[in-house]
Amino acid sequence: MEDTEDKQKTFMGKEYTLGKDGRKIIFLTKDEFLPFMKRLKESGFSHLSLITGVDRRDYIEVVYHLHSISTNEIVVIKVKTKDSRVPSVTSLWSSADWDEREQYDMMGIIFEGHPNLKRILLPEGWIGHPLRKNYDMDTPQYVNMDEDGEDYVTFDSGDGW
Amino acid sequence: MDSSGWTELNIGPQHPSTHGVLRLKVKLDGEIIKDVEPVIGYLHRNAEKLCEMSYYCDNLIYFDRLDYVASMIMESGFLEAAEKVLDIEVPERAKWIRVIMSELSRIASHLVWAGAFGLDLGMLTPFFYCFIQREKILNIFTEVCGSRQQTNYMSIGGVYQDLQEETITHIWEFLKQFPEKLEEIYKLFIKNDIFFSRTKDIGYLPKDVAIDYGVTGPMLRASGVPYDVRKDEPYLTYDKVNFDVPVSQKGDVLARFVVRFEEMRQSARIVKQALEKLPDGPYFNPKGKKSLMIRVRGNGEAYSRVESSKGELGTYIVADGSVRPYRVRIRSPTFKNLSVLPVLAKDTMIADLVSISGSIDLVFGEVDR
Amino acid sequence: MSLLTVFQSWFSPLGHFWSYAIAYFLEAVVGLILAALSLIIMIYLFRKYMARLQRRIGPNRVGKYGLLQLIADAMKLMGKEVIFPARRDDLPYRVAPLLVIFGLFAAFFIIPYGNIPYFGSLTISHSDVTVILLFAFMAIMPIGEVLAGISSKNKYSLTGAMRAVAKDISFEVPMMLSIIAVVLMSSARTANALNLQSIITSQVIPYGILEPLGIFVFFVATVARASHTPFDLGESESELVSGFSTEYTGLRFGLFYMGLFGSIFLGSLILSVFYLGGYHGPFAGSIGWVWLMVRAFILVLIFFTVWLAMPRIRIDKFMDLGWKYLLPISFINLVISGVLTLGFGW
Repeated sequence: MEDTEDKQKTFMGKEYTLGKDGRKIIFLTKDEFLPFMKRLKESGFSHLSLITGVDRRDYIEVVYHLHSISTNEIVVIKVKTKDSRVPSVTSLWSSADWDEREQYDMMGIIFEGHPNLKRILLPEGWIGHPLRKNYDMDTPQYVNMDEDGEDYVTFDSGDGW
Repeated sequence: MDSSGWTELNIGPQHPSTHGVLRLKVKLDGEIIKDVEPVIGYLHRNAEKLCEMSYYCDNLIYFDRLDYVASMIMESGFLEAAEKVLDIEVPERAKWIRVIMSELSRIASHLVWAGAFGLDLGMLTPFFYCFIQREKILNIFTEVCGSRQQTNYMSIGGVYQDLQEETITHIWEFLKQFPEKLEEIYKLFIKNDIFFSRTKDIGYLPKDVAIDYGVTGPMLRASGVPYDVRKDEPYLTYDKVNFDVPVSQKGDVLARFVVRFEEMRQSARIVKQALEKLPDGPYFNPKGKKSLMIRVRGNGEAYSRVESSKGELGTYIVADGSVRPYRVRIRSPTFKNLSVLPVLAKDTMIADLVSISGSIDLVFGEVDR
Repeated sequence: MSLLTVFQSWFSPLGHFWSYAIAYFLEAVVGLILAALSLIIMIYLFRKYMARLQRRIGPNRVGKYGLLQLIADAMKLMGKEVIFPARRDDLPYRVAPLLVIFGLFAAFFIIPYGNIPYFGSLTISHSDVTVILLFAFMAIMPIGEVLAGISSKNKYSLTGAMRAVAKDISFEVPMMLSIIAVVLMSSARTANALNLQSIITSQVIPYGILEPLGIFVFFVATVARASHTPFDLGESESELVSGFSTEYTGLRFGLFYMGLFGSIFLGSLILSVFYLGGYHGPFAGSIGWVWLMVRAFILVLIFFTVWLAMPRIRIDKFMDLGWKYLLPISFINLVISGVLTLGFGW
């Protein structure tokens, strides 16, 4: 499969470029994203290694590293999104659950169809998404615990305990 | 009690068996666990943002502090990706030194795990036996770089200092007594019936579920998948040493225990071969020399995998031609391994929850990053 | 001649009532001091032994060889800030650790310690039914644990208390059955079968040899009773933080801790009294107290070794052990000792 497709620089019908680490990078549009991911999953890429959001200032690039344990191959899928919304792949890989929550937390990417999209590392109510390039780092935010034991975020350093 | 008649129990973030700051919201029916929800982020420092804000050479210290019990492996994980982005070759001797240090680090990490796992199950004594051995490894680390845990030993283009003859003899001394002591520790656990009953058939993780949740490392291998980055995509000089990848088909806590101990034996084997094959030559690439490092510019992007003691440590670096990385993403193995805990712990007892979460080998510097 | 009569003779000029009153009081004080002293020695021994097993040094800073470490620890516990949980049930919360310690020390008074030089017999209790008294006092300790667990208003404590109750119910029965077998045997040899003193004197062959099953059941039940690993389900540190004593701080926590060590020592004493011949020495003129202590300390070391080497058993398997294994074994033991005593007249 690979030999014939290598000459045309296509992988499963999609053009790819090679990254510096020699891995195939495939750019997808949002429409063709989910069906292609489904095809990848069916063709043996059973391990979703990593979901990364890269803030390119005017758009966000969501990068998926898919790994096939049987053929030991890694494919990099990239989706560009201007409104920071991409379809969720939790229905295909369970490991996407926490990864997508983390990217939502850190990047503000909204994964459409995620069953439980809430912050995972930062407390609920945190203002801003820290890994965005325009995140305001000069305003410290403090986390406190209220009477019921729930966390909340405040700008006042003297608040709470 | 909530409407379903289940007791809600909040385990952690301060709890003897959560290995740091894991918080588990548990729903209990008597002693049976009906639902677990891990809450993480109490040790969150946003290492990824810190990496973006600092030079390539400074990024290393954030990786040191991810998995602080196996910091050497973390460093080699970052450097695998960074050296691709920066186009810096690593001399052969430095590669071998990195292998030696990584494997010693793996042994140290697994020893910490074994000791802490014993404490989770209520065994006090093996903890000290493990830590005596670990202390010897940390002494070797102190010799090579002056630091015990946050070593910062490897640097871009090689290692910070050459491996001295004296240190090599000390590593040999360690290796000479280690297998015997390891067997002693192993017997302390495995020859105990209560230990058996606490681990056998507990926390069964099927193969497909493990892959689906992105579980890697000893946990995945204990479920019967022989996936080890050192074999599948050999980095450094792992293709030049002989070692076996221990795999168990059982998938329970006991299997994870056995796999980790076998890994320690294999690591000792690798260190032995690496010491024999250690070539002469430069231990760093002048291009990556410390004074130059803040001037090196990276471009392109690279994703690297290394086999950390917990699983596959992935580092994804996107560079934009400046002296700082544009985006650093860390694939933390324990983060993924922890996400499978609700599946494993369902319908077990509180005591089993402790032994299951112990078998995952949690280090919160890495989970929360 | 016994401790009581010696004291009474010292104060005999005061008249019958006062001399006896002071003698009883002094006897109790001596008993208390001896019990506390042996506890302190035992805890020091435990820490040194534990350190030796774990290839450490153990306490060696306070006093010569760290002998004063325990006093330093007690002072540290006293100096600690005492934190009370806000929604506690106040009276039971305060009474619980005292109950544990009271039960423990009361039981120490019952044990026949044998004779010491000059004073003679060091037996404080003069009742004829000391077996019943002993176990009645020992039954007070779990009440303290349960009260502590319930009154703290903490889920960990409550679970710990529930486990403590389950533990005590399932291990008290085999323990009592194995004791009944001993009483049965001694009833064929002596008129006062319920007196510890006469149980000891009737042991020409120690009952531990005649009832190997009984001593096994009693040993396991004592481990459960003292609640250290493998049976420390009430505390179970890695699961329930500290079980019923989670919400206790400072000296109150220290009392629970002392209760644990005290039960181990008490268990070893009882085990040597019932099964190993108590204060019997190898020669006629030997000092009984010393020989009882030798037996007890050897047993304590065995208990410690079990403690340090074993992981914690799971609660359901623990209950299984009590009901499915120990209970039948203790019944079999009872039958065997009945046959031995009545049928063969051993």
